[in-house]
Amino acid sequence: MNRLTHLPTLRIQPSKALSLTYNKKRLTGVEGDSVATALYANGIRIFSRSVKYHRPRGLYSLDGESSNCFMAVDGVPNTRTCTTLLKDGMTVNPQNVIGTPEHDWLFFLDYFGWAMPAGFYHRHFHRPYVLWPTFRKWIRKAAGFGNVSKNWEGGIYDELHLNTDVTVIGGGPAGMSAALAAANQGLRIVLIEGRPWLGGFFEYSPEPYTLDIPRYERARELAREIEKHPNIRWFCHTYLMGLYGNHQITAFQKGGEKDYFDERYIEVRSQSVVVATGCIERPLIFEHNERPGVMQVGCAHRLARTYGLLPGTKAVFSVGHDQGLEAALDLHQLGLKIPAVADIRFDGQNPDLVDRLNKSEIRYMRGWVAGKVYGHHQTSKITLRSTEGTREESYDCDVVVASAGHTPVSGPLIMAQAKLRFDLHTGFFLPHRLPGNVHPAGRLWGLTDPHAIECSGMMAGLKAAADCGAADDNRLKDLKEKLKELPGPERGTKLAISPGKPGKQFVCFDEDVTVKNIYQACDMGFDVPELNKRFTAAGTGPGQWGIPGHNLPLVISKYHADSTIPPMPTTIRPPMAPTLMATYAGKRHNIFKRTPAHEWQEKAHAIFRRVGVWKRARYFSKDYSCKTEIETVHQAVGIIDVSTLGKFRLFGPDALKALQRVYIGDMSTVKKGRVKYSAMCNDDGCLIDDGVVTLTAENDYYFTTSTGRAGTTVEWIRYHTRYDGWNFHLVNLTDAYGAINLAGPKARKVLSELTDDDLSNEAFPFTGYREMTLAGKIPARVMRLGFVGELSFEMHVSSSMTGYLWKCLMEAGKPFGIRPFGLEAQNVLRMQKGHVIIGQESEIRTTLHDLGMGGLWYKKPESKTVGAVALKQTKHQKDRLKLVGFKMVEPSDPKRAPKDGSIIVNDTIRGHVCTARYSFILNEAIGLALVEDKYAGIGTQLEIFEDGSDHQRLHAQVVKPPFYDIEGHRIRM
Amino acid sequence: MSLTITCPICGKRNGYEFRYGGQDKGPRPEEDGLTPEKWAEYVHLNENTGGIQKEWWFHRSGCGLWFTILRDTQTNQEIK
Amino acid sequence: MFGKYKRLWKKSRLKSSYDAVIIGGGLHGISTAYFLAKNYGMTDVAILEKRYIGFGGAGRNTAIVRANQRTKENLRLYDEGLKLWPKLMQELDFNMLFFNCGNLNLAHSEAGMSALRLQVASAQFHGIQSELVNAKQCKELVPVLDISDRLAFPIFGGMYHPPGGTLRPESVLWGIAKGASQKGVQIHQETEVKSLEIKNNKVVSVKTGDGKKIHTPRVLNAAGGYSALIANMAGIRLPVDVLPIQAMVSQPLKPFLDHVVSSGVYHAYANQSLKGEVVTGSHMDPWPGYTTQVTARYIKHQAEALTELMPCLRGVKFMRTWGGLADMTPDMAPIIDGNHPIDGFYIDCGWGYFGFKSAPVTGKYMAKFMATGKCPEILKPFTMKRFAQHRLSGETASPVNYGPWN
Ligand SMILES: Cc1cc2nc3c(=O)[nH]c(=O)nc-3n(C[C@H](O)[C@H](O)[C@H](O)COP(=O)(O)OP(=O)(O)OC[C@H]3O[C@@H](n4cnc5c(N)ncnc54)[C@H](O)[C@@H]3O)c2cc1C
Ligand SMILES: [Zn+2]
Repeated sequence: MNRLTHLPTLRIQPSKALSLTYNKKRLTGVEGDSVATALYANGIRIFSRSVKYHRPRGLYSLDGESSNCFMAVDGVPNTRTCTTLLKDGMTVNPQNVIGTPEHDWLFFLDYFGWAMPAGFYHRHFHRPYVLWPTFRKWIRKAAGFGNVSKNWEGGIYDELHLNTDVTVIGGGPAGMSAALAAANQGLRIVLIEGRPWLGGFFEYSPEPYTLDIPRYERARELAREIEKHPNIRWFCHTYLMGLYGNHQITAFQKGGEKDYFDERYIEVRSQSVVVATGCIERPLIFEHNERPGVMQVGCAHRLARTYGLLPGTKAVFSVGHDQGLEAALDLHQLGLKIPAVADIRFDGQNPDLVDRLNKSEIRYMRGWVAGKVYGHHQTSKITLRSTEGTREESYDCDVVVASAGHTPVSGPLIMAQAKLRFDLHTGFFLPHRLPGNVHPAGRLWGLTDPHAIECSGMMAGLKAAADCGAADDNRLKDLKEKLKELPGPERGTKLAISPGKPGKQFVCFDEDVTVKNIYQACDMGFDVPELNKRFTAAGTGPGQWGIPGHNLPLVISKYHADSTIPPMPTTIRPPMAPTLMATYAGKRHNIFKRTPAHEWQEKAHAIFRRVGVWKRARYFSKDYSCKTEIETVHQAVGIIDVSTLGKFRLFGPDALKALQRVYIGDMSTVKKGRVKYSAMCNDDGCLIDDGVVTLTAENDYYFTTSTGRAGTTVEWIRYHTRYDGWNFHLVNLTDAYGAINLAGPKARKVLSELTDDDLSNEAFPFTGYREMTLAGKIPARVMRLGFVGELSFEMHVSSSMTGYLWKCLMEAGKPFGIRPFGLEAQNVLRMQKGHVIIGQESEIRTTLHDLGMGGLWYKKPESKTVGAVALKQTKHQKDRLKLVGFKMVEPSDPKRAPKDGSIIVNDTIRGHVCTARYSFILNEAIGLALVEDKYAGIGTQLEIFEDGSDHQRLHAQVVKPPFYDIEGHRIRM
Repeated sequence: MSLTITCPICGKRNGYEFRYGGQDKGPRPEEDGLTPEKWAEYVHLNENTGGIQKEWWFHRSGCGLWFTILRDTQTNQEIK
Repeated sequence: MFGKYKRLWKKSRLKSSYDAVIIGGGLHGISTAYFLAKNYGMTDVAILEKRYIGFGGAGRNTAIVRANQRTKENLRLYDEGLKLWPKLMQELDFNMLFFNCGNLNLAHSEAGMSALRLQVASAQFHGIQSELVNAKQCKELVPVLDISDRLAFPIFGGMYHPPGGTLRPESVLWGIAKGASQKGVQIHQETEVKSLEIKNNKVVSVKTGDGKKIHTPRVLNAAGGYSALIANMAGIRLPVDVLPIQAMVSQPLKPFLDHVVSSGVYHAYANQSLKGEVVTGSHMDPWPGYTTQVTARYIKHQAEALTELMPCLRGVKFMRTWGGLADMTPDMAPIIDGNHPIDGFYIDCGWGYFGFKSAPVTGKYMAKFMATGKCPEILKPFTMKRFAQHRLSGETASPVNYGPWN
């Protein structure tokens, strides 16, 4: 197709050819083309098939308002080809057709429209019920547009998070004027524009701005100012996704040839927002109003002005606004044959335009409107009707340019919680109640005069500046005066549906919803837009409300012909433009923490697992029973990295009071040189944390928490003391210190290699705490603990020294057969001792008493200890879950432990297995379980139900933990 | 809806930096003579105000302070 | 072949008294009304809805249904609830688009698998289909899953529950509303309850927004996210925090995802609706409020999570987000009470983000409760009294903190 190459408004480089593959055919477009315009230039007229009736659909608009232009582009289904810039070598494929868009084998569905009234899914297919799954399969197959590409790799997805003073949405004359006005007040501005260039509706219009400057020239003038203004950061080809409360916006930018990214997620927080999103067109509803060949005014006009493509050979116009007349005149000038222009309005037009039309050979028909389009696949003829429906005239044509007028893009305002109201003069939903710091500008107020639009933009910019403390009241007042002098909003048409038989008049293209469907739903009680759209699905498709947004309320209002209720706008929800998940996901960080001994464990072939924010070593070999690791701890010496434990310093005059508040024990007995084991509960008496506490100096405590609580302990303690005004400081040292536990009968010998301090049981007994220097240079806090049930020393040293300490210990331990052990070995070792792990043996239903740990509770009502009230109230409660030990007994295999999570049953479920393992040292299968107290007595026989066991039960018997070293000699060695 | 909270130390910040700490219910009651019902009321029952309420917030990704603000639960706006 | 386009539910004049008034035209309210009329012949019932049917959680949820809960108290109820859908579709002659595609819950650690085993074993014990599957089997069920260790939390396996699935939530509402209306129940939209009148510890009447007083001996508080406000009208405070929660859908695509996939670790679940949209729900905003506005945070988070679990979703576009309210109790179990502490005042709320699946069955038993005045055995575990007794429900294993720190 020949391009118009001389136009100053072109955005293409006609000389630079780009290639694309469409439906396996190689075609060429030119640089600057969108995929859609390139296809159009190659004579493609049927772009897709509709979802329900498989009606042919063509290019209708150029701003992606409907699914008509959807294709799979480079593997991405449902791509809006009209807003996607053509890149060399693109692969484009049609969707939702069997065959090609021209010859779709499912075309016959169009003849069954009568069988698919609103909500027909709900009245059919479920009887007889046995057939429903089959019908459902068909429905699934028929639904949906494109196919997901299973192996799609995508490209580079960037993220940008900005803070600014004013965000301006829309780079048309109003938005640019607003940005400049605010920027000139010294503020920082972010401006975003959806099209690949600034200019808005001025951008392609040859109508005069002033006598000697056409509008497109004015657009370029403003754009140059924006581009060189140091305070303005502007983003083109950037679509607004959401405008949220507190003036935050999200948008995504499409990467151009020179950008290093394919798409970029942009989030901007600002003080104030200017919304200058202008208008799209309100579709004209008539019979077959979506036949290929029917297109909106802007589409036809921009095809020529921006892309150098005349939309066809002969076009009939049916419009309701001056811009439609302007386009007709211009396209006529450019060589398009226009037999007739029907204007819905009888009067109110710009007289100059009427004059020019009358002088041309175009037949200009006031009070006329498109009635019906003919043509099997493409438009071949149109019947125009007088708006009262009494007269008819038909014209042969291959293009129908149809538009009822404009409709403001007020989605951003709605998202920002503005209230809109139907305005009788313009026929628009205009801003009525605005949230603070949100300023609509330009055509959102219904303005059409270029100077009024700019003036309104500047005013919005100044108002936004005032929100940021940079007001210029005088200037604002002047502008207000000026705006009063300029032409106000144009009167708009309110015509909802063209007269004639209600045949296939489409309100929503995406979902194939006709006027008839809307009425049917109204009949059924869905007679307000919000309900109607849910029942008919109008506007819920991927065109994101663009086509039916304004018409649906008007059609419904028409249904209520006698009522005085004004049309109601419906809710718009983000994202305003369909957005790739890849773009939302952005850079996809996988953030986790490594302990300071991570590398050393890696060298020892640790198998790591994510545990909360950490990566921790779970096994040190592929033997997941951890036999060697466990036996090493029992017989020689093992080493485990416990750096993830929470580590805290709490000091100050009221430090003890704070401890008494959160710890269930009596913390006044904590003394130097000793650790005290204690626990924290929540206010239901449920165990939430345990650890040890020691006193390092007067009013200066050091304590540990479980890994899971490290992040929230500061918050917790300060929360529970927030009313008290106590004087203490709390420092989270978790990341400052690493921690290593050395456990096993030979632990003392290994540690003596690193220190001359007396480590004997007498000098440094169980629960002792010592500060010493290890390996000559590592200051360490060493404590004797017994979690794993063998003699053990836990060493806390600064993070930077932890790796070195690990290395020293490994070297010193070599002669003693030292081995690292991981979380699973530790899990078995501690279970043998009956020690609980929070979340594994405890849960929301269990109190400290239920876990058999009630002994830790010390009554000190004056401290108002968190959890104490509940512990008092539940002390003697019956019918609770209790933690018990059990061992496997005949007839089950006494050496086979049930799997964790198996349930304990008789006639009903009575509890579950928390942890159970075969114990190498005891040579029997043992475990801990939570069971109803009736079954918690020592010696009770339990039946265990494992998943997939086919109701074969396992047998166990309640025994008293600990299972191993009952007297605790080994930890006190 | 996005929320902006003014921390007494750090100023206006993104709401997701904070942790909500409940409506201001006053200090922990004296334990003497506390019935289970009264206690559950303090611990679990909430006013669920539909409007302005005084509530606790903790600046988690910030200075680590617990403080109170007034917020309208209908609009999610902080009230100054 | 097709009937005339009759109203799904009749319009009627608001009377000045009813045998029962139900506050909230959500699924719980409508179901209760339906069963009151159907099972107990109580047809003089009005549902008062402040906006439109389904404008609360019931019309905003993602309608995942399943019966693989953690505790036996819940399993009983949800199992019966799951089996009710086909019956309702036939009984009401309304297609609710029940799609029992099965649910796959992913585990990302050994501990995660053990936690699922408890649920699987419990379901199997109750004769409910549910099984543990390994990572490879997960991939067979959902070929677009990434089971490699590229994930931050690699997939270990999962719990596959074939009878679960989804419905179209609005259809369910419309269908049951139609049924209730046919049986004589009145549905009044745009009728907000503003206050309750209580005399001698007994419900007497409710007052609507336009000042009308409606006498009734029985009131059901089924106002979903707003139920705490209704309870407050009766001087009752509830152990709930109302948190905004969001869901979103992608553009419609041809079928590629055959099951509901969910991951607790990733705070994400997704399924493909019969329309072809990928539907996904996110976590709640961590602060209470009554706004159903969405935030920028969760749609991004969902994209991050879902594209990690199912990389091909990178090439899929989100189309719409919306928000609703979740009335969360401290133990993720509902609050069901009646005649306590006020005679004639019934409460069915606290359903948080999980109360769709149980609505019809709860309605059935709530109807019994209201008709007889006695709480059916199956609903007893959900009394509010459990909090004073420190007997929280075990549906969530570890304590949760949706509201204040306690
Ligand atoms: C995003 C989201 C996803 C979810 N996903 C799932 C899911 O996958 N599976 C699942 O099982 N559950 C899910 N849920 C939860 C489920 O939606 C709710 O638990 C359920 O809808 C509760 O139903 P309801 O009838 O009690 O309340 P609602 O449906 O909320 O109905 C309450 C009604 O009361 C009305 N009302 C309020 N105040 C008044 C008044 N003063 N007077 C009159 N009327 C009043 C409201 O307008 C509302 O319509 C989800 C919820 C949300 C928000
Ligand atoms: Zn701060």
